[in-house]
Amino acid sequence: MKEAYLGIDIGSISTKGVIIDKDNQILASEYIWTEGDPMGAAGKLISALEKQFDKETYQIVATGTTGSARKLVGAMVGATIVKNEITAHAVGTTTLYPEVRTILEIGGQDSKIILVEHGIAVDYAMNTLCAAGTGAFLSSQARRLGVEVEDFGRIALTSKHPTQLAARCTVFAESDLVHKIQMGHTKEDIIAGLCRSVVSNYINNVGKGKKILSPVVFQGGVSKNIGVVEAFRKALGCDIIVDENGHLMGALGIAILAGKANARRTFDFSVEDMAFRTREINCGRCPNNCEIICIYRDDMLIDSWGNRCDKGALKAGIRTGVRTMAKN
Amino acid sequence: MARERKISFPMVANYNSVVKYFVEHGLNAAFIMPPKLTRRTVEIGAKNSPDYVCAPFKTLLGNMVDALEAGADTLVMTMGLCRLGYYAELQEQILKDLGYDFEMINLAAYSTGKNRDYFKAVRRLNPRVSLGRLALTFAECLKMVEHIDEIEEEYYRNCGFERHPGQYKKVYDRFLLNMELARNVRDIEAGYLKAKREFQAILLDKPEQPLRVGVIGEYFTVMDEFSNLYLEQKLADMGVEVHRWMNLTHRNIHYQGQKNLGVQISEYCRYEMGPTSTANIWCAKNYAVHGFDGIIHLKSAGCTPEIDIMPVLQNISRDYKIPVLYLTYDSQTSDTGLMTRVEAFYDMISMRKQVVQI
Repeated sequence: MKEAYLGIDIGSISTKGVIIDKDNQILASEYIWTEGDPMGAAGKLISALEKQFDKETYQIVATGTTGSARKLVGAMVGATIVKNEITAHAVGTTTLYPEVRTILEIGGQDSKIILVEHGIAVDYAMNTLCAAGTGAFLSSQARRLGVEVEDFGRIALTSKHPTQLAARCTVFAESDLVHKIQMGHTKEDIIAGLCRSVVSNYINNVGKGKKILSPVVFQGGVSKNIGVVEAFRKALGCDIIVDENGHLMGALGIAILAGKANARRTFDFSVEDMAFRTREINCGRCPNNCEIICIYRDDMLIDSWGNRCDKGALKAGIRTGVRTMAKN
Repeated sequence: MARERKISFPMVANYNSVVKYFVEHGLNAAFIMPPKLTRRTVEIGAKNSPDYVCAPFKTLLGNMVDALEAGADTLVMTMGLCRLGYYAELQEQILKDLGYDFEMINLAAYSTGKNRDYFKAVRRLNPRVSLGRLALTFAECLKMVEHIDEIEEEYYRNCGFERHPGQYKKVYDRFLLNMELARNVRDIEAGYLKAKREFQAILLDKPEQPLRVGVIGEYFTVMDEFSNLYLEQKLADMGVEVHRWMNLTHRNIHYQGQKNLGVQISEYCRYEMGPTSTANIWCAKNYAVHGFDGIIHLKSAGCTPEIDIMPVLQNISRDYKIPVLYLTYDSQTSDTGLMTRVEAFYDMISMRKQVVQI
């Protein structure tokens, strides 16, 4: 049996998973929508990966989770490593592109910039408080314009005179956009303007004060949009590398980290058939009222978090008698 | 004789034991210890505050409500060098509108810089106060502040490296309790020495060159652990030596002064920019010069003085190649987003350090 490592990246919009071997070669990969149900998405992802995976020759010995639901899904699949997406992306990209100096990343709800020197991340920034200029903004505007977000890039490239749009804030950009539509700007100009506003927003907010050096790798869901890639190329004046697996970088990074770490636990594909359930309880043992999230597998409490002190600590492994709805 | 006043002062970091000591011994009045800050405090504060005011205003307002409900009839509120100077006035108005009956002593109204005027405020709290006793208690309070700050500094520098987890916390908590219960200067000194001795006895597994992170930022948010969502504890738990210069000892009691600090950072800024700006820039440069692995800058949303120093920090970061993480706090209580950023920051500086050491 050869060793293999599983990495799962559960973002706000999409869920990504890869299985790699010892030489970081991708054995299986999958990309699906989270649809507001991270646990369900992770279950679907695992069953899709299982179909591509050669169980006879390989065995998954380490599992890592990353992305905004990393803790939840990490508890569900029994991850050996749970890490934030910034580190995972940096590791994934620097493994594939050791020369990279700047990593631009725009996802569904967040955007980040990672500066790299000699293959090591030396500085990073992430958007705060506001989702302006992320994938969520683009898809909501696509709906307004009646265009599929997947076609955005193609349409944007046909424009010759991109419309100027206020880029600072989603709310302003949106009212500006409505105004420009009613003024009679063409759809492709507006779409190209949107792509440009995403880029200028990114450079002014996330990239503020950071020196962007080439080679530049652009990844995350929005990197699939060639309109935005083109706008970045124009704004930065250098070539932008977009990997065909750019959307998998986080999952790849966490799989690599799982392989490097010492912890080992054989991954069991049967988790996809188990029923998981979460419940929020208010501790109530002091006025802070911590919201404690409990995760149950069948009716067994497997993990809990959210408490600020020992008063709210719950022991894993307690059978609570809380009945779980069977899957399906 | 007028009935005894029940004085309260909103909770700031660990300094309420000092205020308690001062009120009880110097002013000979009763002190109502405001309840610890909780989510409820923040909710009440945020509900009754203007939306765009900074988070410390909301937290303090909520804490004042807590204190009034606990029985206080006199509130004391500090002056400040930024918008803080106007806060007492506005908070008094809001609380009176909510129907609370109390007296507000607004120190901003007495802050002329002359000690005589501060004494007027004290006279209002207790007209028959003895000047000699007041001065003596004040000196003892300064000592207590210094002790609290020193123990806290030592705690955050070492608690991430203890061999048996929980030992440092135990000593630290007991020390804070001792300070709260102190009845005379002997208690203060004994509590301090006991904590020092017990810290000495704890076994540490500290590498020769641990990761060192300097925490700087806005006065209230950086000092109050509830408001910064226990950032220093989180860093320490990851195995970081956490340094924070900003505390009452350094910023107020032994402050070197705007001019002295300004000279040392003249290549970065030439003017004073706000209450803690010079100190924070100086502090960041100091950390950079001393080879720290990273700097974390915190502020509450909308804090103008701290927003102003961010470009200067970016220059320091570039010149000394030291990463700076910028964190903005509002009245949120979920720490998931904070954890993501802090963890990534930790991963980054630790990977950097490994490479540098090879």
